[in-house]
Amino acid sequence: MKNKAEEFVIGLEIHLALNTKSKLFCGCSTNISGVEPNSLCCPTCLGLPGSKPRVNKRAIDFGIMVAKALNCEINPRMFFSRKSYFYPDMPKNFQISQYELPLAKGGYLKISEKKIGIRRIQIEEDPGRLIHVGGDITSAEYVLVDYNRSGIPLLEIVTEPDFTSTGEVKEFLSKLSMILQYLGAYDPKKEASMRIDANISMGGGRVEVKNITGFKAVESALSYEIIRQRNIMRRGGKVVRETRHFDPVSNTTRSLRAKEMEEDYGFILDTDLAEVAIDEKWIKDLENKIPELPDERVRRFVEEYKISERNAKVIVYTDKAFADFFEKCCEIYDKPTQVANWMVTDLLKSLNYNKISIDESEVEPEGFVEILKMIDEGKISGRIGKELVKRYVASGKNPREIVEEEDLTVLRGREELEEVVKKVLKENKNAVEDYRKGNKKAIEFLIGKALAKTGGRADPKLLREILLEFLK
Amino acid sequence: MKYKELSVKEFLDEVKEGNIDLEDFISEVIEEIKRINESFNYFVYISEEQAIAQAENIKKRIKKGENGGRLLGLPISVKDCICCEGIPSRAGSKILEGYIPPFDSTAVRKIKEEGGIIIGKTSQDEFGFGSFCTNVGIGFKIPKNPFDPERSTGGSSGGAAGITASLNYPHIALAESTGGSISCPASFCGCVGLTPTYGRVSRYGLIDFANSLDKIGPIGKRVYDCALLLSVIAGEDNMDQTTIKQGEEDYTKYLKEEKDEVKIGIPKEYFGEGVDERISKLILNVVGSVEGMEYEECSLPYTKYGVPTYYLIALSEASTNLAKFCGMRYGLHLPLKGDFNEYFSNVRSEGLGDEAKRRIILGTFARMKGYRDRYYIKAMKIRTMIINDFKKAFKKYDVLITPTMPILPPKFDELSKLELIQMYMLDLCTNPPNVAGIPHISIPCGKIEGLPIGMQIMADHMEERKVLVVARKFEKELNLSG
Repeated sequence: MKNKAEEFVIGLEIHLALNTKSKLFCGCSTNISGVEPNSLCCPTCLGLPGSKPRVNKRAIDFGIMVAKALNCEINPRMFFSRKSYFYPDMPKNFQISQYELPLAKGGYLKISEKKIGIRRIQIEEDPGRLIHVGGDITSAEYVLVDYNRSGIPLLEIVTEPDFTSTGEVKEFLSKLSMILQYLGAYDPKKEASMRIDANISMGGGRVEVKNITGFKAVESALSYEIIRQRNIMRRGGKVVRETRHFDPVSNTTRSLRAKEMEEDYGFILDTDLAEVAIDEKWIKDLENKIPELPDERVRRFVEEYKISERNAKVIVYTDKAFADFFEKCCEIYDKPTQVANWMVTDLLKSLNYNKISIDESEVEPEGFVEILKMIDEGKISGRIGKELVKRYVASGKNPREIVEEEDLTVLRGREELEEVVKKVLKENKNAVEDYRKGNKKAIEFLIGKALAKTGGRADPKLLREILLEFLK
Repeated sequence: MKYKELSVKEFLDEVKEGNIDLEDFISEVIEEIKRINESFNYFVYISEEQAIAQAENIKKRIKKGENGGRLLGLPISVKDCICCEGIPSRAGSKILEGYIPPFDSTAVRKIKEEGGIIIGKTSQDEFGFGSFCTNVGIGFKIPKNPFDPERSTGGSSGGAAGITASLNYPHIALAESTGGSISCPASFCGCVGLTPTYGRVSRYGLIDFANSLDKIGPIGKRVYDCALLLSVIAGEDNMDQTTIKQGEEDYTKYLKEEKDEVKIGIPKEYFGEGVDERISKLILNVVGSVEGMEYEECSLPYTKYGVPTYYLIALSEASTNLAKFCGMRYGLHLPLKGDFNEYFSNVRSEGLGDEAKRRIILGTFARMKGYRDRYYIKAMKIRTMIINDFKKAFKKYDVLITPTMPILPPKFDELSKLELIQMYMLDLCTNPPNVAGIPHISIPCGKIEGLPIGMQIMADHMEERKVLVVARKFEKELNLSG
């Protein structure tokens, strides 16, 4: 039973790498994956004495769009601040972040039937990346630093402690990620592009869990932490206020440091960067550029294509490319319900099985629709259709070609099928007996057997006809 | 050709005419500054090789008939905190031992583009932390006043002012002021020091002291020299977002202007307590002696908050700027021992001088939780009031005139007897215009006990023109330097 004292709330600090071409305060490229360490750096992102930051306007544009999509109030005067602490991944030993005058405040994002409050949204620079050699953060022999990541623009989104289950967290993050993708502000495929710190408060203690990368890890981290804290409470202990580190290998958290007091970062304004005045016009221009967002798209799919809300949600929230795929299919094939059903069942299952997304696969709307058309034409059976989806996803080979080459078309030769039926009746005497005794359902079993014998190619209608005749 | 005693203007004309062998000239200048440096410590680094290479280069250019460039062949010294590509730039600190910037500061780049020759890096208080150039970094030598080696050059641009006064060759110094570091040494060494409006000159390539206060500016023998160098280094720069949008401007042309009526305000707070009466009297006499100058007493009531406001903001910012010096990526390195925290602490303990440590601690304190509202935030608010104080005065007056420093250039042993707070209070005339970011100049206006006295002329933001016109008028009338 859930004990009242064991109830918890969760708040998140989400760091998302903004999808800009260059870094936040210099011209270095943000395409850092697979690049030689410390090769995409300049005096500014290395913090060399004498260097100066200059802000990338595109990052602010993205920030404004996200803030608007999350119903936030945008600060007309934005300023960057210095957050001071010493750490080897920080070239200046302060991070250019925001404090008194962040980009935006006070918004929300709706999940299911609940609003999750957004406390603030701010823009900041990413530090470099530490590589622990010969161990992890507590046991490494030594540490290497790669500053390629230093200066990548991050959007920090701080929520209110409004989550009461890990399911809510998951739903929120996938929705948030989706919105940012729609805005073009975020590319989930980029390395470590979503990092999360979670605050879990149970029984008065507040624990911050750091180093959670990607929203799949959030579930593991939170589940572990909730059980850990619950066990402490059950043993009559008290959850201490501390910062813990998530280890994605063991899916556990471990204590980094006790948090007796709030950390003091000694924030001051970064006066190397002038105040950024964000006026109505700037916001309006960007608002006009905000595309249709996921929730609106679900609504439109239901209205325009008359598909079920459930299917529309699955299609839209799988990912943006998946929803785009649906619309492209509907352009060339006039049966949206059919497309939707096949997409949310067979197509999605095969993609997941192969662990790829639709845009990573070689599946094209034309080929996919071809399968549905062949079923419509009666050229192939539904069962072969399912098989084709699987093979199309796995190999990328055009379905119609597969059908032609392997002769998978529906068997309609009456004589041929009669032979099959004869064999089935011989091999399944019990079922025949049952049928004759009045169990009419036994015919379905026999049809199934006959279908299997033809490798799914037989026309089920014809099979039924022949069977009924033979059983008379 | 005799190079000595040429003014900057005469020298530049001679170069254009092809009358000067630049390699020969630069070698002679380098020899001379080496000689001076042996006893006066104005340079922390003399860039002999680079200077000669630059001279050769320009010589070739001139031979090809390319004699453009507003500073063609002119020796320029650069304060150590301003980065020059390939030349050690340490801001006078041991902790930056071995740091050789891979880039030129914007000001230096512009100087080079105009044909100026970088002769070396001048000494300063470590990171600019001082008004007397006595807080030099560990292992650095204290520069001595050219009028009396027992006395201070003033600071923090002590080397810049010292060499400007001592060198009998055409030369201009590139200096920097956070709270008075151009005016003060210019005053003590009998030079002209111009601190431009904050944002007039790009700070790109300046090793930061306090980002909202730092200003790069010239120190020269004459007003003309400062106007010339300002014309070269001023301008909007996309590498420094705090630079102000402005057109190309030739500040030297204003010096010919004859402004008939100049309205001068004499703020009484700069002539009262803490100011040597002889200095007050001298300044007032000078102002009264020149015709066409209409002056009256005025009041800037927020003056008394100038020093504390300045120190709180400057040290808060400085304590974050100095955090990056930890022996990890550049500068002083030590054998690895302990975890990163211990290593950083060791490097900072060994690499930073006492005043730097003191200012880091004070600045960190002023921005700590529970104190930042009372100190840092409050200082930021008072800063606005100080600016308004000036704005109001400039509605009525073209310029304000005050002493630059409230005392004569002090002897080193006098300084060592002063309490810290007494030392900081000596910035009472120079801190307010620096906090406000308004342009100001210090020009020599006479001597007391054989020591030079500086007069400070301030004008509203972006009104360098007024500062220069008035400064030139005094310079001419007083016939102080030709």
